[in-house]
Amino acid sequence: MAGDKQKKKSSGPQEGPRSREELQQEVRELREKYANATQYIRRKVNQLLTVMGTAQLRPEELDDAILIELDPIGIVSDSFLQILRNVKETNEQLRTAHDELTAIFDSAGMGILVVDREMRVLAWNKKSEDQFRFDRSVAQGRFCHELLCLVDHREDCPARKAVETGRTCQQDMDLAGRHYNMVATPIKDTAGAVSRIVLVYMDMTERMQAQEELQRSKERYRDLFENSTDLIQVLGADSSIRYVNKAWLDALGYQAEELPRLSIFDLIHPDCLDCGPEFKSVVCGDRDGRFETTFITKQGGKIVVEGNVSAITENDKFMGTRGIFRDITERKRIETMVAAEREQLAVTLRSIGDGVITTDINGNVVLINKVAEGLTGWKQTEARGRPIRDVFPLVDEKTNEPRVSPVEQVLRTGRACELEGHAFLIARDGSRFLITDSVAPIMDRDSVISGTVLVFRDITERRKLEDRINKSEKIESLGVLAGGIAHDFNNLLNAIIGNIDIGKKFSVPDSEVYKSLVRTEKASTRAKELTQQLLTFSKGGAPVKKLAAIGDLIRDTADFGTRGSGVRCEFSLPEELWDAEIDEGQISQVISNLVINAVQAMPRGGTMHITGRNTTVKPGEFQDLKPGNYVNIIVQDTGRGIPQEQIGRIFEPYFSTKEGGSGLGLATTYSIIKKHEGAIDVESIVETGATFTIFLPASPEHAGPVVPPSVADPDEKRTGRILLMDDDELVRETAGVILDLLGYSVDFAADGKAALEMYQKARSSKTPYDVVIMDLTIPGGRGGKDAIRDLLELDPAAKAIVSSGYSNDAVMANYGWYGFKGIIIKPYTMDELSDELRRVMGQKGSSGV
Amino acid sequence: METIEFDIRGQFCPSSLLVALKEVNSRADSLRQGSVRLCFLTDNRDATITIPESASNMGYGVSVEKREGYYCIVISGKKD
Repeated sequence: MAGDKQKKKSSGPQEGPRSREELQQEVRELREKYANATQYIRRKVNQLLTVMGTAQLRPEELDDAILIELDPIGIVSDSFLQILRNVKETNEQLRTAHDELTAIFDSAGMGILVVDREMRVLAWNKKSEDQFRFDRSVAQGRFCHELLCLVDHREDCPARKAVETGRTCQQDMDLAGRHYNMVATPIKDTAGAVSRIVLVYMDMTERMQAQEELQRSKERYRDLFENSTDLIQVLGADSSIRYVNKAWLDALGYQAEELPRLSIFDLIHPDCLDCGPEFKSVVCGDRDGRFETTFITKQGGKIVVEGNVSAITENDKFMGTRGIFRDITERKRIETMVAAEREQLAVTLRSIGDGVITTDINGNVVLINKVAEGLTGWKQTEARGRPIRDVFPLVDEKTNEPRVSPVEQVLRTGRACELEGHAFLIARDGSRFLITDSVAPIMDRDSVISGTVLVFRDITERRKLEDRINKSEKIESLGVLAGGIAHDFNNLLNAIIGNIDIGKKFSVPDSEVYKSLVRTEKASTRAKELTQQLLTFSKGGAPVKKLAAIGDLIRDTADFGTRGSGVRCEFSLPEELWDAEIDEGQISQVISNLVINAVQAMPRGGTMHITGRNTTVKPGEFQDLKPGNYVNIIVQDTGRGIPQEQIGRIFEPYFSTKEGGSGLGLATTYSIIKKHEGAIDVESIVETGATFTIFLPASPEHAGPVVPPSVADPDEKRTGRILLMDDDELVRETAGVILDLLGYSVDFAADGKAALEMYQKARSSKTPYDVVIMDLTIPGGRGGKDAIRDLLELDPAAKAIVSSGYSNDAVMANYGWYGFKGIIIKPYTMDELSDELRRVMGQKGSSGV
Repeated sequence: METIEFDIRGQFCPSSLLVALKEVNSRADSLRQGSVRLCFLTDNRDATITIPESASNMGYGVSVEKREGYYCIVISGKKD
């Protein structure tokens, strides 16, 4: 500093020499100026320091030289430059902030209104205008309630509260029909007084509506969840039970607070362990699925449930499962019951003796039972779903025309129906069954038809039986008629034939009288045969049976019948063929009839077969036959056969296919076989032939050797006393002549009473009768049947011959059993009477017979 | 960051303020760039008011730490 002073002194202006005083004066003046300048600098420095907020310079702190050197003015002005720069930067930041705020203000999704503490509007954003639709040109300075609330001074005004409390206030308000959440924030001045309020109001209407909707949705969900009758559960990934609904708790008997201790595997019934792994795979999220399981209740009960389980995932991570189950315990029980019932029904249906077919509403087969399977030839599996007319086709019994299925009729009318008349069911293989059926609609619970049930029965056999019964009845009624006249007719024939014999005895052979008598005899014989055939229908024609080797009888009869025709008869009659209990005459007649028919059916010749075989009929095997041993005779021809429509009638009396046929041949045959307790049937194919099958009761016994009939000596003179009992005078007279001719002495009685009296008288007078010939029946008197008992009582050794053209009981067939020694069937010839008398008289009388 | 320390203990305001301002002014750019900070050690209480206030007005960040018998006024970069 001292240097500077020196320098300044030497750098003064170079002027001319001045006086000391002048110089001293100048020094004084200069010092004064300097001091003034320094004072000025100090003052300005202090002024600047005051602006800077610091203390003023103290004179002792800095001398003038240091003050000048320090240059405080330079320092402060440099600092000012920096302050100004800082202010400028700050202003720029404020401007940016203001712009940003303005942008936020206008673009905010909520309304913003700035008011002063008197609630006059200072600023607002665009959203406010939109929300409250006020005119921006008049908004400035208006009270906010004029723009928003439209009522003065609301109690709940948050802006007023903010002014009063100085704190941010919030209030939900309904303004202009919408719901707002208002937030009022106070802005305070530097003194801490509230000068402005920023009102931010958010329109909550949509959000509120959404919330309300959400709430309602929650309620609905809760209602569904809690009031569902299904069991709903949500499980965690560890199979723990997260939450369940009321139905679940009720069904399983747990309280909600017990759930945290449970796992779903505690709830699977031990009986359902099989479904455990499957269930596990579902509850562990390995698969979604529908399945059935059994839960165990807290009390140990079983609940069968069925339901769906699906996995809950979050970001592909398995979080657990949700499951909805339905208690199907009752349904299961009913299903089991229904299954058992159905099984029972199916078994019942299959066991029913009738055919049963059920159909659906379209007439397609639903079910077919075993009998129906057998008759139709359709199996259940094949028949199901097929139209009924395919499985059950019907044709009319008489016209052979297809018939409308009764099922279709029922489906159309809705009413049960029965088959009118009978129809043939055509089975799958073409065979035909005569059936009767009935169809009923199946009604559902609303009485709407849902199908039909068809029940049918094969009546082929029944029809055959009925036909036979009809036939039997026809024959029987004819028999009664024939029997009724036969008695008298035979008596007449007996007289005729007897008198012819007598006439022949008294005429010269080869004379015209004799020839005439022979012709008369022939005609009488035919009349006798006709009467005999008629009688066969009647009870009087009961066979007089004895054990016979039937094979020989067949062979002889058939050979005789085919003799002279172009028909050859082949026999298959084994040696071991059983003997049969037969009336040889009648069975011979049967064979003869069949052979004659066969021969006539083969006018150009041919071969017929007669087969015999032993058969044992089992119980139920044939309707017409009792169980037991039978000889089965099959007579088969290769003739023109019998048309189908005639085959049912050929055993009827007076039904004949042959011109001039009597119509009695096969009727007689039928009657004879029936009376032998056998059976006869016929099968025929037109142009191929007919086969007659006969069953005759057989016996394991064998017949004894055949005794050849004795040959009567025509000229042999007999002796003996005969008592002839007959109510018919013609018979008595004729027989009397014949017996007289034969050499017997004969007496007559008209009835049993007279005969006994005469027999008694003769015995008493020691001229007893050798033989009594008794008529079996005497109208209005005592016939042979009763008289024989009295006679044998009188004389146990009495020899009586029963005589009748008509036997209405078993006496004729079993005359020996009744005590008769012989039998003579009216009308008889002289030879027949002679033979029988000789035979009986040759017997030793015994009381034991 | 470089810290330059000035021990102005024993000086009173306004000289302590003027010294501090002179140093701040001469390093204005380095301070603004954040490459340097200045640390003034003072035992004058007035200076703990005047220096921070001035520095703050100039846009700098200031902190005052009390130490044993004196204060440390740190001036750095821009204020927050």
